[in-house]
Amino acid sequence: MDRTLVDFVKVLRTAEIKVSPAETLDAMQTLNIVGYEDRQFLKNSLSIVLSKTPEEKEAFDSCFDRYFSFNKFKPEESEQESSDDQFDDGEFDQDAKGEAQPGGKGSGQASGQGGGEEASEEDQSLQPTSELGKLLLSGDRTELSIAMAEAGRQAEVNQIVVFTQKGLYTRKIMDAMGLKELQDEISELQSEGGRERQNLADKLKKARDRLREQVRDYVEKQFFLHADESGKQLREELLKKVKLSNLEKRNFKDVQEVVFKMAKKLISIHSKRRKTYKRGQLDVRKTLRHNMQYDGMFFDIKWKASKVDRPKVMCICDVSGSVSNYSRFLLMFLYSLAEILPKVRSFAFSSDLGEVTRLFDNSNLEDAMAKTMRDYGNGSTDYGQMLMDFKHQCMDDVNNRTTIIILGDSRNNYGDAKSEILREMYDKSKRVIWLNPEPKMSWSVGDAEMKKYAPCCHQVEVCNSLTHLERVVSNLLRYAY
Amino acid sequence: MKPSPSFAFEASAVYRLPLAAGLSKQGPFVTIKNHDRLTSVEVIQDNFEKRGYICNPQIATAVFLAYHLEKPILIEGPPGVGKTELAKTAAEMLELPCIRLQCYEGLDESKAIYEWKYGKQLLYTQVLKETLSEILEGAKGLTDSVAKLHEFGDVFFSEDFLEPRPLLKALKAEDSCVLLIDEVDKSDHEFESLLLELLSDYQLSIPEIGTIVANPDRKPLVFLTSNNTREISDALKRRCLHLYIPFPDATLESRIVHARVPDVPEKLRTQLVTFIQELREMDLKKVPAISETIDWARTLILLHTESLDSELVRQTLNVILKFQEDIETVEAEIQNVTNKALKQ
Repeated sequence: MDRTLVDFVKVLRTAEIKVSPAETLDAMQTLNIVGYEDRQFLKNSLSIVLSKTPEEKEAFDSCFDRYFSFNKFKPEESEQESSDDQFDDGEFDQDAKGEAQPGGKGSGQASGQGGGEEASEEDQSLQPTSELGKLLLSGDRTELSIAMAEAGRQAEVNQIVVFTQKGLYTRKIMDAMGLKELQDEISELQSEGGRERQNLADKLKKARDRLREQVRDYVEKQFFLHADESGKQLREELLKKVKLSNLEKRNFKDVQEVVFKMAKKLISIHSKRRKTYKRGQLDVRKTLRHNMQYDGMFFDIKWKASKVDRPKVMCICDVSGSVSNYSRFLLMFLYSLAEILPKVRSFAFSSDLGEVTRLFDNSNLEDAMAKTMRDYGNGSTDYGQMLMDFKHQCMDDVNNRTTIIILGDSRNNYGDAKSEILREMYDKSKRVIWLNPEPKMSWSVGDAEMKKYAPCCHQVEVCNSLTHLERVVSNLLRYAY
Repeated sequence: MKPSPSFAFEASAVYRLPLAAGLSKQGPFVTIKNHDRLTSVEVIQDNFEKRGYICNPQIATAVFLAYHLEKPILIEGPPGVGKTELAKTAAEMLELPCIRLQCYEGLDESKAIYEWKYGKQLLYTQVLKETLSEILEGAKGLTDSVAKLHEFGDVFFSEDFLEPRPLLKALKAEDSCVLLIDEVDKSDHEFESLLLELLSDYQLSIPEIGTIVANPDRKPLVFLTSNNTREISDALKRRCLHLYIPFPDATLESRIVHARVPDVPEKLRTQLVTFIQELREMDLKKVPAISETIDWARTLILLHTESLDSELVRQTLNVILKFQEDIETVEAEIQNVTNKALKQ
């Protein structure tokens, strides 16, 4: 039984519900208390124990419904209604119906009775010999479902990843249920001839085809349960590592989702504002005020503390053709962090520099990006011009709390590098970080000026995938204190 | 919530489980007062209803599990859906004291767990000064006196000088209690970490004294509420059962109004509940919660209302809406919404 629950927890995890081992243990304890009799009660209970946000609860509900659903074997035409109950109740309600139906497994001659009364009458002498054949004709659908689930487990159907594997797993499950013996039996019956034998063979064939359909259904369900989400995870992992310039427009939506997820993680890590206590420096005023309640005796001494400021980020992005994609995602990242990085000023350039902070404040990310590209995207790159513009526009706003991030490939079309301005920025600001999407080896090849710029930066990084971006931003938040 | 007989599990089918062990066999783990009122979800629902708190099966299940698993419940949901009320009603139902800790920014352990009674310590040292010299009489040299003093232990840092705050009080409660930690999201991150020890092990450590553990048979029933103004840390969430209380549907809300304001005639009750339900669909800054519905019902009773009409609604709108913007938005739609409510 534990295995069922563990499997279920695994399903929950693929559906992005965070379930810790401790919570799994809680769930087991819950099972002991709640039991399996009442589905709704169990669902409510597990939902309370395992899912911890409204979104997770929603995901939980659909997972529960899908996971704990029974594959109904379609009743055969000749079957009586009564066996329906027996099937539904499964193992929980064995007493009443159990007597009415001796259940085809135990006594040899009784098998087949449950299936169809009139059929068994004429075939009295002829009974299928293979296990699966018996099972099929006995019409005990609970037993059949159990056999299928068991076979599914043997075939490890929960490892299914892509939809092309459906056929494979159907086959595997059928094999595990004993398809081969059934086939042998059918062909044997057919070759031997005789009306009764033919009849039985036909019946078995029909049952086999029906079973195959059921198994296919079952595999389909398992696929949705186990693979749908893990496929998505796979894609997301891939997106994180792929070079950003290779991304195509159709991927942007997925990437945006990934960026938001990463940003959320960063926010939760860094959302706490830290204080540094300067131990040794007495805060006289605070101590006096606080110790008034103790008749002015200094019991509780307060030290000076200063709140650590969030970095003031200025972000200068090259938006010319070759690097525009990187800029897009850097900006996306920074603006997703608005909660903990409230003061981001962004600038875009290819030759002339312009501030685009307003654009991002007033419209959504997509529109702002598009407008930025339209206004600044064309023209040949000129880093010298950019630095001069920056000096004119906002050198005065740079102070020792400002972090400047420059994103670009430093390909200056052989123009004047003007690295002395960057040096000035370096001196005035807290930090200058240069992110270059090109690999290190090509930093000084051709018209790239990285050699001149690098000494004027506190930090120079290769940055061409989301993982890189995440690392840079995380460091930005961590060491900004 | 009726047990549905026609239901089985796909995956579980392989294992032949004996009928899952019922509660009666296991017996209650904890023996707090009136635990018989917690034996099943239905019993809890009934008992809550008797005390004017109408709840859905989820809520009752959470209370049921909290008691049997000995775990705290973290309750989330929009303001005014009865999160705090749930804890209070649970305390009333079990006839236990309800110890409440209201969280706010800057709340620290001296306010939440314990504090030393500095004044008393000070006073005692002054008074005991003379006794001290008597004790030290005959001691030769400094080491001797210090050794003698050591025999008395930490007199001033004992429980006599300890001022227990809500959390400690809850642990030390004789017959268990209901501990309500209200609006955890308002407190700082540090405070959340302070709570972890209490929530997972029902114990608190005081450096000078040691660890104080709750009576294992009478652990307090802990409720935490949050309005989700910030994300609660995973560590805290992991230690709690999580209950989300959404706005109730029309039937449930109608029952709640009936329980709280029994004087409202049925016709008016349906009308006002429908009206409120309609408002919740609109794009408002703050949608009316259950507490507002109840207030409104009371208001209408005071005004001897038989049936809603748009003029009356206009005049009493400020009872259910708390922002001028919202009132303006709704005013334009009043006729429309009132008609809808009247049709019911």
